[in-house]
Amino acid sequence: MLLREVEYAKPGSVAEALELLASNDGARALAGGQTLINVMKARAASPDMLVDLNGLDELKGIELAGDGTLTIGAMTTYSELMGSAEAKARPILGEVCATIADVQVRNRGTIGGNVCSNDPTNHLPPLMVAVGARMTIAGAGGEREVPAEEFFLGVYLTAAGPGELLTRISIPAGKKDGFAAVTLGADGTCIANAAASVNGAVRVAIGCVDAVPVLVTANSTEGVADAVRGANLMPPSDVHASSEYRTHLAEVLATRAAEEAAGR
Amino acid sequence: MRRLDGASKGGGVGFADAGASNPVTEMSETTLAPAPVEVQKGWGGQSVRRKEDKRLLQGEGVFVDDVKRHGMGYLHFVRSPYAHAHITRVDVSAAEAIDGVYGTLTGEEVAALTDPFFQISSAPGANIKDFSLAVGKVRFVGEPVVAVVAETRELARDASELVEVDYEPLPALVDARKAQEPDAPVLHDDADGNLMWTGLYSWGDLDSAFAEADRVVEIPELHFHRFNSTPLECDGALVEYNRGVGQWTIHTNNQFPGFAAIMMGPAMKVGLDKLRFVTQDIGGGFGNKITSHPQLVVCCLLARKLNRPVQWTEWRTDFHLSMSHGNERWFHDTEVAVKDDGTLLGFRTKALDDAGAWLRYEPLGGVIWAQVTPGMYRWRHIELDFTQVATNKAPVSPNRGYSRMQHLWFTERVIDIVARELGLDPVEVRKKNYIRAEDMPYETPNGCVYDSGDYAGMLDLALELIDWGSIPGKKAAARERGKLLGVGIGSTLDSGTNNFGQSRLINPELQFSGNNEVATVKLDIFGEIVVTLGTTPQGQGHETTAAQVVADILNCSVDDVHVRAGHDSYWNSHAGFSGTYASQFAVTGLSAVKGATEMLAAEIKKLAGAVFGGVPPEGLELADGGVRIKESPDAFLPFMACGAIINANNAGLPEDLDVTLNCRYVYRPPFEVPDVEKKFGNLTLTYATQIHVAVVEVDPETGAYEIVDYAAVDDCGKRINPQIVEGQVMGATAQALGAAVHETYEYDEDGNLLTPNFYDYHVPHALDMPPLATGALESPSPFTPLGTKGMGEGGGAGIHAVCAAIQDATGAIVTDSHNPYQRVWRLLQEASA
Amino acid sequence: MDVTVAVNGTTYERDVEPRKLLIHLLRDDLDLTGSHVGCDTGNCGACSVILDGVLVKSCMLLAVQANGASIETVEGLSEDGELTPLQQAFNEHHALQCGYCTPGMLMSATALLRENPSPSEDEIKKALQGNICRCTGYWNIVEAVKSVADA
Repeated sequence: MLLREVEYAKPGSVAEALELLASNDGARALAGGQTLINVMKARAASPDMLVDLNGLDELKGIELAGDGTLTIGAMTTYSELMGSAEAKARPILGEVCATIADVQVRNRGTIGGNVCSNDPTNHLPPLMVAVGARMTIAGAGGEREVPAEEFFLGVYLTAAGPGELLTRISIPAGKKDGFAAVTLGADGTCIANAAASVNGAVRVAIGCVDAVPVLVTANSTEGVADAVRGANLMPPSDVHASSEYRTHLAEVLATRAAEEAAGR
Repeated sequence: MRRLDGASKGGGVGFADAGASNPVTEMSETTLAPAPVEVQKGWGGQSVRRKEDKRLLQGEGVFVDDVKRHGMGYLHFVRSPYAHAHITRVDVSAAEAIDGVYGTLTGEEVAALTDPFFQISSAPGANIKDFSLAVGKVRFVGEPVVAVVAETRELARDASELVEVDYEPLPALVDARKAQEPDAPVLHDDADGNLMWTGLYSWGDLDSAFAEADRVVEIPELHFHRFNSTPLECDGALVEYNRGVGQWTIHTNNQFPGFAAIMMGPAMKVGLDKLRFVTQDIGGGFGNKITSHPQLVVCCLLARKLNRPVQWTEWRTDFHLSMSHGNERWFHDTEVAVKDDGTLLGFRTKALDDAGAWLRYEPLGGVIWAQVTPGMYRWRHIELDFTQVATNKAPVSPNRGYSRMQHLWFTERVIDIVARELGLDPVEVRKKNYIRAEDMPYETPNGCVYDSGDYAGMLDLALELIDWGSIPGKKAAARERGKLLGVGIGSTLDSGTNNFGQSRLINPELQFSGNNEVATVKLDIFGEIVVTLGTTPQGQGHETTAAQVVADILNCSVDDVHVRAGHDSYWNSHAGFSGTYASQFAVTGLSAVKGATEMLAAEIKKLAGAVFGGVPPEGLELADGGVRIKESPDAFLPFMACGAIINANNAGLPEDLDVTLNCRYVYRPPFEVPDVEKKFGNLTLTYATQIHVAVVEVDPETGAYEIVDYAAVDDCGKRINPQIVEGQVMGATAQALGAAVHETYEYDEDGNLLTPNFYDYHVPHALDMPPLATGALESPSPFTPLGTKGMGEGGGAGIHAVCAAIQDATGAIVTDSHNPYQRVWRLLQEASA
Repeated sequence: MDVTVAVNGTTYERDVEPRKLLIHLLRDDLDLTGSHVGCDTGNCGACSVILDGVLVKSCMLLAVQANGASIETVEGLSEDGELTPLQQAFNEHHALQCGYCTPGMLMSATALLRENPSPSEDEIKKALQGNICRCTGYWNIVEAVKSVADA
């Protein structure tokens, strides 16, 4: 419950934030804090310095381009996204955010934080993979863009490395999306989840089954179950689900997400 | 929310005229006689708004962590990371060297300064040595090993990481079914094995029952799982030591100070008067705040050692790891003697109870189930072989429904499984076998007396609330949508006001019996009516309901009655069993209040009679905030005058006037010591009834399910405040539903708790709750001064109902009390195989 | 580190360690013990406060993050001991028993009603999803909020 000693810095710009992260080995970015602070309470991780990204306008904002591309600042909170008129261009985003945790968490927690923490039970990593999002990472050498499929590297590990920051996420236009989950209680932590997007072919990204979202593709919704079986999932067992049960759920939820997407 | 004949809001109805008293049936050795129930008009029976709310709504409640003392040190426990290990070295020097660390306490010190805690058990459990910190060995993950006290919370936490403890890990025992195998790891060498207590209970004539049976239904294994009520506020204390008089003031939220004192005093080798317990607002208890005495001892020792107040806040993870898990119990090799028409004749079973690493309130769970031996049913031939073992898990101690819940779940499972086997309707089997209203008061096979109740009537009410007739249509509609709908009944009892003599069935050498509770009521100098209780309420509205009882007797307004908040040993308003636990306040606490107030009323009349020149009490009445002569009401003495005369202006009063206007009353329920040989006798005074119905909708593809409808009918006798009663009915329901679907304390094979916090241990929130319809009956208890019965624990009705509903939906036999989605999915796989 | 924070209209200045949680600043340093701690994983909501108009769980913010902010806690809801309509509704509908979750519930309900003066029952439940209660089962709490919403 009680954190270890930590230094705190509140940079006035992204450049300053990057500088702090690069020059302090044990520095971590503090986004919404709805995960990181709890991790620090448990002393499961204890950064030497927290670089507070709250208040950096450069990381805020949601823009809708003429071609339908949505660009979302990494420090956009779930609540902000849910309330954004622009974000309604891709309705699944707000719909899924509305099922994450609770109001208090949604008021502080951020899209970027959800994505960068890459907890296997998070909602957004599979969703970003399914919709084909592109992640912009800023570092000492400037900015680069990484497709979502290549962004997630391992549990709590993404392509945004030490000294780098995810600054924004670009999401192409589209509306035929779906998301299905079995959760611990209504709108609770996911035991298994799947995000789907239909654009000709069917893309389904499955969460909770591996260190990173598992992407399968199929020509039709009917082919999704086979595609999932073909992925030879070996999910972990935990107190909520055995590996066998999780695998089964993955198949069912992938199909449901795909059907929801196709039906839009 | 729908209510039927239930809590009235606002305007009162007085005592409901429900449920005619039942004819007294012949009873054997018990000496209970029905007491006259006074029907009063007025405050009793009204849903009076709570006095407690004003402060709680403004954040002005005083919970233990709100209490501060100058110079206090914050305590953090170093806890065992192993389920089972020898402690080979403890070195606190690095921690103590930190600036701002005030000191530490180790197991070695504790062993030198204190005696092991008194054990309730007979051998072999009697032989274990339980100290307030681990001595020589750790026996569960999270067991406190060393205590560190420092200037700030964070520093105590930091310093605890510098305490060096070396362990030699040992194999862990996590399955109680393996506890008595020859190669099982042994937790307590002093007990020579993991068996803590065992006893065989047998009543009636099982051989004849099984001979008479048309068939014997066999149930190899039933399992009631480990969970608890996770009160939102965890345990805590702020302890001050007065060196000059050698007395500790223990600000805490322990809900049974009577028990804590009895355990702590001898261990600390001090008289009980040296332990002053002070509680005010407590953030939920549900039984889980009864066994914090080891931690309180540590706080006391440190307050004395360090010569400063010591503050302890238990964090959520600490609570989950170490505090008060509910009894986990298996029922093996159950055999039920039944007739083909569904008549139940009797059963035998082997109950295996997992006590965890220490017996803190156990093995009382080994007898407390016997308060409800036959459940709600009329079978007379019962045998239960009870065995309790130790395992490398958190110590078990009372959890809402304590031990009766486990047994009642068992009987309800038996009913549904028998019904299924015989192809009969579970509703009909229940009605056929329920104890009948006309049988009340009903003596059970082991001599307990169910005081009153109409089970069949309540079941009908519950079925009406759930719209039973619509269920087949709803099932069909669900099938259309690809879902499975199931309905289940959970009928259960909330036995209240313990006869502590039942402890002798566990250990014949114990010198406990009966029960008691205390209240004082006085008129102050300015005529203020001041009440003190011996209880430690955690939200049950004691201040309000006590005021209602007082106001009715003194014929004044509840607003004129000031009930002190909480508990304080200094008020001398407590007795050996004082506290708030075991569904008894409406009987013990309120009867004490009634007794004290009646004493006060009599004294007021005596005083007034003397002041008026010799008017007898019959000629006087209390009204309008004073006392007056009935025949000539102008002769009126306000309470203020009464209080002033006795306290400050008493010259000239008759010498033999025996009036203090400060009345203390000890309520003692009418109990005998049970027959230890036959394990026979009345163990509880009252029996509240709950009958619930749950409707679940299962997604057969995933096993995920939702509780889509729910009805709860409650009967706790006369309700002093129906709204307060209903609130606890609802709360108990929510907790039962949480336990049924999500809440479990599950361990891995190394003894690590897999649900050590609210992230993995899902507690239901507002979105998880089903629609709820409630109903109420009032069958007064013939045995209590107010006709009330204790209530609040709820008997686990929600668990029983959900199990039954899942069985109905899936067609599979439900054998576990905990049915998360994964288990339901497996049941479906098995059912279709 | 210096922190300046306005709570219920009063400005406080304290020097705190960066690691101190906002809930501990409120409870331990400012003696505002109305907000409570019920868990250690940010699940229970007993610590909920309104910070710069936004409902947050104060156990997941560092005190230093609140520097310059304006915070509302349960102590600031009523004036001169007069219960607000929302608080009265809680009393009338028996929406509290032990009272430990109540400050958090009140703050969540307050935030909801400011944004949505006439919420449906489902919207109320969703708004209270981040507040755990073990005593009431939530039904009376939802009714209490609903009664103020309909008013």
